Amino acid sequence: MIQTLRTLRFVLATCLTLAGAVAPASAASPPTTLRVAAHYTAKQAAPLLACFKRYEAAHPGLRIDYQQVSYRDYLQTVLISRVGRSPADIYNLYSIWAPQLIGVGALDRPPPSLERLVRAAYTPATVQAATIGGRLWGMPSAVSVYQLVYNRRMLAAAGYRAPPRTWAELATIGAATVRRNRQGNVVRGGYAFGTTTANIAHTFYAQMYAAGVPPFTADGRGTNLRSPAAARIVREGAMLFRRGITSHAMTVGNFAGRAAAMTVLANWQKSALAEAFGDRFSSEVGVAPIPTDGPGGTMIYSFFWGVERASPSRPQAWALIRWLNEARGRDGLTCTGRMLGGMGDLTGNRADLAAMRGQLADPFSRGFVAALEAPGARPQANVWHAEEIDRLLRYYIELAWYGRMSPPAALATADREIRAILAEQPR
Amino acid sequence: MSAGSSSAFAARGLAPYLFLAPAALFALVFLVGPLGFALWVSTTDWNGIGAARPVGWGNYRYLFEQDPFFMRSLLNTFLFAAGSLIVGVPLALGIAVLIARSRLQSMWRMLFWLPMITNIVAIAYIWRFLLNDTNGLLNRALDLLGLPGPDWLTGINWAMPSLIMVSAWMTLGHNVLLFLAGLNEIDHSYHEAAELDGAGPLRLFWHVTLPLLRPTLLFVTVTSLITALSSFALMLVMTEGGPARATTVAGLYLYDMAFTDLRLGRASAAAFVLAAIILAFSLAQFRLLRRGGVERH
Repeated sequence: MIQTLRTLRFVLATCLTLAGAVAPASAASPPTTLRVAAHYTAKQAAPLLACFKRYEAAHPGLRIDYQQVSYRDYLQTVLISRVGRSPADIYNLYSIWAPQLIGVGALDRPPPSLERLVRAAYTPATVQAATIGGRLWGMPSAVSVYQLVYNRRMLAAAGYRAPPRTWAELATIGAATVRRNRQGNVVRGGYAFGTTTANIAHTFYAQMYAAGVPPFTADGRGTNLRSPAAARIVREGAMLFRRGITSHAMTVGNFAGRAAAMTVLANWQKSALAEAFGDRFSSEVGVAPIPTDGPGGTMIYSFFWGVERASPSRPQAWALIRWLNEARGRDGLTCTGRMLGGMGDLTGNRADLAAMRGQLADPFSRGFVAALEAPGARPQANVWHAEEIDRLLRYYIELAWYGRMSPPAALATADREIRAILAEQPR
Repeated sequence: MSAGSSSAFAARGLAPYLFLAPAALFALVFLVGPLGFALWVSTTDWNGIGAARPVGWGNYRYLFEQDPFFMRSLLNTFLFAAGSLIVGVPLALGIAVLIARSRLQSMWRMLFWLPMITNIVAIAYIWRFLLNDTNGLLNRALDLLGLPGPDWLTGINWAMPSLIMVSAWMTLGHNVLLFLAGLNEIDHSYHEAAELDGAGPLRLFWHVTLPLLRPTLLFVTVTSLITALSSFALMLVMTEGGPARATTVAGLYLYDMAFTDLRLGRASAAAFVLAAIILAFSLAQFRLLRRGGVERH
């Protein structure tokens, strides 16, 4: 009996000691919360949010809050949250935003082990996109690439089985597929440029790469806008307007509405196009390289996961990023890869791309994957104040399209003003 | 003076300040403070993220001497404001005069008020669809009539007039109501006397109604002008400032400068320039209003 009591006393004491040991520890270290800011909607990010739950379960004391920030307001939100001293711990950044954030010390450098992993596991172009000033700043995520998208049925009806490969063919096929109403207004564009800054500036960059001339110099302090290739691109574009092959009202969305025969767009629009074309998506929508008289190529643009330098939980943040992009599920995909695949996005993660092969087997995706892996695909230059430069460039290209300035004059003025912005970048 | 009356005086002296304190504190925190902060920011190169370096009047000089688009955006702002006034005010006045004689005045008032309670972004999207060059209802209708439809929002010469048209439609209800109130205040005896003297409807309007409506007319002009000068959402949604910056007004320009380009110093300077212009216009018009006896409003 005494022995039993002693045993009970010992067990009780042990339990109390253990409880005592645990309780102060948990009181001393409150749960860590990692805030992840990305532009994906909750629906789009569902696979990622499921991964967060799993990660939280495996890491007691860690909470992950997902903060959806609209793409348009992303930088503004980062700015306000930093002023309010409550920035997110992890950002999903469009690579061109990074130079300014790095310039003010807002981003943390990834640990060397993660850097090695990125260099080994990702396509070179996406690694380059996350590289600013010769240093890697995060883990690549979504990748988009521009290609010519055309309506096979409209081209076939006009007697063309193959998409245009050169500017001359683009104009010929565009003229054959355009439809105007009785008043001469274009109701179905032979080609559509789009009306947003991204539509105009990014398409121009992609056409520059296709012509074999990068829009910016290698040091990021100058442009090649005064090159004959740049003038040619703007001149050919203006000619499409002048000949009534397209109109200023034509948007990329007109292609989805079967009101444009051809346009240049990025792969992330796959789900919207698939929804618009329904059963006829695969048979009606074709993808081809961007027409050019140069060696061929295109522009890719990327997002990457980065960590806020002011975050008190930087090691945990990098650990989470690594897990999201390295640990694989039964489908062979990482958490990031599963989310991107679900949206029809591409990734620079080679293993994810391999696991997505089945998913990317349709003709639309194949065209973009081929472009992504081609040597002519170049990452968008991460230049200083890139969005401001895009808007400036759009303005001068539009002036040339509207006939208010000659293409060389418009581009020379744009070059002068863009150089002034690039010169502001700290060395 | 006894000690008792002195303390009562002190208490009376303090009481008004105590009552005013909440309002004063509110003004200090939410008006004076931000204004002072913005003024300080306008003299720095702050980008909203890093440290701010003082640049003195550099941002103001840049706007007027080097910025290729600021003056253009100011010009666009004046064009938009002038257009909105020229189209919107006479239209509202005409409709108010017609409604004032109608038996269904309350129904018309309600109908014209509807745009005022509708979200501006929703209005902008609806008009964007209506004015779409390719598939817009307006151009479809014109096509049916055999008329060529213009590039309402994408034509470099058409985009601004289109926005002016939408703006005039949006503010119509507000202005019509103000004019109706003014018209209802005019004593009928003036009209009766003029009619007895043989004045027709046009002369009646021109020589009796309009002069007596002057205070309302000036009030509507001032408020419409201030609204138009600070417009921004309409352009952001309908044209994004395009084509070729033909509709980039100062408000939109400084928004992009601040939140897309992260040039908060320059944007604050631009905001103060715009505010100074609006203030100058307002003061000039208030002076006119005083002469017109608009204090009634």
